[in-house]
Amino acid sequence: MSTQIRATDLLEKVAKQTDGAELYELHSVELPVRFRSGALESVKVVETAGRALRVIKDGRLGFSTTTDLSDDTNLVQNALESACFGDPAPFRFPAKQPAPSVRCFDPRAEQLDEQKLIALGEEIVEKIKAYDSTLDVEAWAFKELEEVTLCNTSGLELVSQRTLVGIGASATRAREGDILIVYDQDSSRQADKIDAAAVAQRIIERLRLAERVVPVETKTMPVIFHRGGVQVLLIPFLMGLDGRNVFLGVSPLREKLNQKVFDERFSLIDDGTIDFAPRSTPYDDEGTPTARKSLIEHGVVKGFLYDLKSAGLAKAQPTGNGFKSGFMGGGFRRPPGIAFTSGVIPPGEKSLDQIIKDLDEALIVEGVMGLGGGNPLAGEFSNTVSLGFLVRKGEIVGRVKNTMIAGNVYDLLKDKLIALSDCPEWVLGFVHTPAIALDGVSVASK
Amino acid sequence: MHEQILRALERSRADYTEIRIEREWRTEVAYRKNNLENLESSSELGGIVRCLVGGGWGIAVFNSLDDLDKRVEDAYRIARAVSSKAPEKAALAPAQAVQDEVRVTLKKDPRSVSLRHKQELLQKYNELMLKYSDKIVSTNARYTDSFKEVTYANSEGTFIVEERPDVTLLLSATAREGEKNIQTGAESHGWLAGFEAVENQEEKALKATQRALDLLHAKPVTAGVYTVILDPDLAGVFIHEAFGHLCEADFLFKNPRLQEVLQIGRPFGVKELNVVDDGYLPGLRGNFKYDDEGTPRQKVYLIKNGVLNSFLHSRETAAKMGTAPTGNARAVNYQFEPIVRMRNTYIEAGSATFEQMLKGIDYGIYACGSFGGQTMIEQFTFRAMYAYEIVRGQVGELVRDVVLTGNVFETLKNIEMIGNDLVIKGTSGGCGKDGQFPLPVTTGGPHVRVRNVTIGGKAA
Repeated sequence: MSTQIRATDLLEKVAKQTDGAELYELHSVELPVRFRSGALESVKVVETAGRALRVIKDGRLGFSTTTDLSDDTNLVQNALESACFGDPAPFRFPAKQPAPSVRCFDPRAEQLDEQKLIALGEEIVEKIKAYDSTLDVEAWAFKELEEVTLCNTSGLELVSQRTLVGIGASATRAREGDILIVYDQDSSRQADKIDAAAVAQRIIERLRLAERVVPVETKTMPVIFHRGGVQVLLIPFLMGLDGRNVFLGVSPLREKLNQKVFDERFSLIDDGTIDFAPRSTPYDDEGTPTARKSLIEHGVVKGFLYDLKSAGLAKAQPTGNGFKSGFMGGGFRRPPGIAFTSGVIPPGEKSLDQIIKDLDEALIVEGVMGLGGGNPLAGEFSNTVSLGFLVRKGEIVGRVKNTMIAGNVYDLLKDKLIALSDCPEWVLGFVHTPAIALDGVSVASK
Repeated sequence: MHEQILRALERSRADYTEIRIEREWRTEVAYRKNNLENLESSSELGGIVRCLVGGGWGIAVFNSLDDLDKRVEDAYRIARAVSSKAPEKAALAPAQAVQDEVRVTLKKDPRSVSLRHKQELLQKYNELMLKYSDKIVSTNARYTDSFKEVTYANSEGTFIVEERPDVTLLLSATAREGEKNIQTGAESHGWLAGFEAVENQEEKALKATQRALDLLHAKPVTAGVYTVILDPDLAGVFIHEAFGHLCEADFLFKNPRLQEVLQIGRPFGVKELNVVDDGYLPGLRGNFKYDDEGTPRQKVYLIKNGVLNSFLHSRETAAKMGTAPTGNARAVNYQFEPIVRMRNTYIEAGSATFEQMLKGIDYGIYACGSFGGQTMIEQFTFRAMYAYEIVRGQVGELVRDVVLTGNVFETLKNIEMIGNDLVIKGTSGGCGKDGQFPLPVTTGGPHVRVRNVTIGGKAA
């Protein structure tokens, strides 16, 4: 049996050889259950234990990770080696600062066992099958329990426990000449917030709307970005408000601070302090407190997101957005980078139904393929619509196929905003957003 | 460790048990503009146990190897819970027990090349890009290497130790002119090789940079339906995305409706079309001898003479569909169970020359290089790095923002000509499926001419 070395003991050892050091240690247990073709297929238990060490030596930054918690030599040597010729560290590891109170741990989530997770999956499958028994339904449910220890040579020592519960499903309808996949999901740090029936209901509603396939003309028209479709608009902001891209001079928003560059109805907030939101936490992965930050306020650019390194380079304040995993995951293995916590877009005044009623011809986009490709840095998007509905004379008339949308997010949100809906929803666990209707989007179809 | 694994397998009460342990050494050097974003040398050890009990799967993943017996017991216990609930019983196609040790010899083992040397090489490429022109406002240069030793054993007597090396190089330059004209050129490569593969690649750095600059003056494509010639890079991504994923049996083996749509023997494309998933092409990314169920690699014709010929299988999908496994059960790392994945997927060379392909196109698009793609069964999309107009049979001006979409069933039938110039390559990215990303694969093809392809962009 190998003997584990405590994080704090290892840090103490490293401290003597460096100007500063930070140790991040993750212990997590995930329990995913998976259904395929409507039936339970597997249950998995994933126990992760890993460590990341960042050091500053002679003013230079070094980094290494390991899963061997009994190792007190290789990890340190690797980090010191990389510090020999790493970049100059433009920051010091922070001491403990007061943080907002954010609820991230739910004992009921912790107690979810495989039987309860299986029941959640069964509920989704049964509800969708009751609508149409010929559908092929995949479903999954998981819980995750994380314990993160973060300590550094400035005296910071944080131990945080977080829970996360998620469910999701996709229904495939295969007909000769037409195959459709509809997907939805829900996640929260709190077990009771998870609503399997609502996930199933949203899928069923979309299947119903997609019964009829309708042709759409190639031309410019209003597009309502709804639910998953909102990601198309968000990705340029994830990049443009990233403090590192601002510092590097590649963000088109870099010289727009305090200028009004968008419609005044449009605001965007990054908020790491929402109780039980999947990406909420009192401190980021570098020990900087998180906050609720206005990034775009009534069309005016109010701020950018920084981690320790980019803040140091840009001579700005870190904003509590230094995370070891972005939306693509990463975990303890990655050095911290800039990431959103929860993106919040305040709602408008019209209901989605009313917005639809007021439009003569429009496309509702709920999902796209090829997200993030192309030229998002310049605000440009060009995506294939994976789930979209055509509106004619104020009514949804059916689903569109083989259709693409294109435009520039920065331009469209400046003077083409038709309306924001009055009822924001959580989308993909990290955005709280209304539907956003924009005019002048290019639509191409066969 | 050998003994420990055998003992744990012996003690398992499951119908079938497998244990996979991976030890990995990896380094990464990453530049953004003149900032060294990451310089890292790390190691990782972890394992996965998969148990089949009464037709239900239980899986346990772990980093500590201290108590392997307990991990097997965990997997067994949850497999039993699954079996009591699962109406559909999983089974495995028969397989020969294999005992093997696969060691690789690399010209320059990345583990013996100093981190400093790797950093200096990447810095050189990065500076080449940055100094090329003052219009280059940012770069993204990344080198990674990984050397894995994978130990796989199962309760049927298979015991394999296999070394799996991988190196990648991404060189990407971003150019800007004025406020909003921002363009990127990139070269993305991956090999099953040693450090020698990434040496002497200055040309790639310059190529990426020049392309970014050229694209500043390219006109955006007009949305519409075109006759398109795909270059070998893009033809490869197209066949992988649009068609290869359809052939992964795990998405249809429990779905009778999809099996009706995708029947073996169904005409799927033009007669000249042959599509292969080749288990082994030496030196190409991800070309390992065994898959993650111990099945040896194979060459599989997915489409032969335009007709759907075979799917790709794991032992489970093969059993269910009454056929033999094809060696395509692959896991991206020890945190995942193997699922059906491609290896080297390509369109076989045809007979047309590039000049013959151009002939007769009045106005079309020659689409080159790939920024990746995505598929949702029948619908696919992928993005060209750059493209040219084809005007009256001649390659014309550079165009940008070319994103292609279509329905795979229609598009394969719209292939008009297949070139004689097959190229297969690996990139610095990889394939993603079910959260398993990035799996090393290669894709390829010759130039391919397709009619009636929808391209997105600004409406005319």
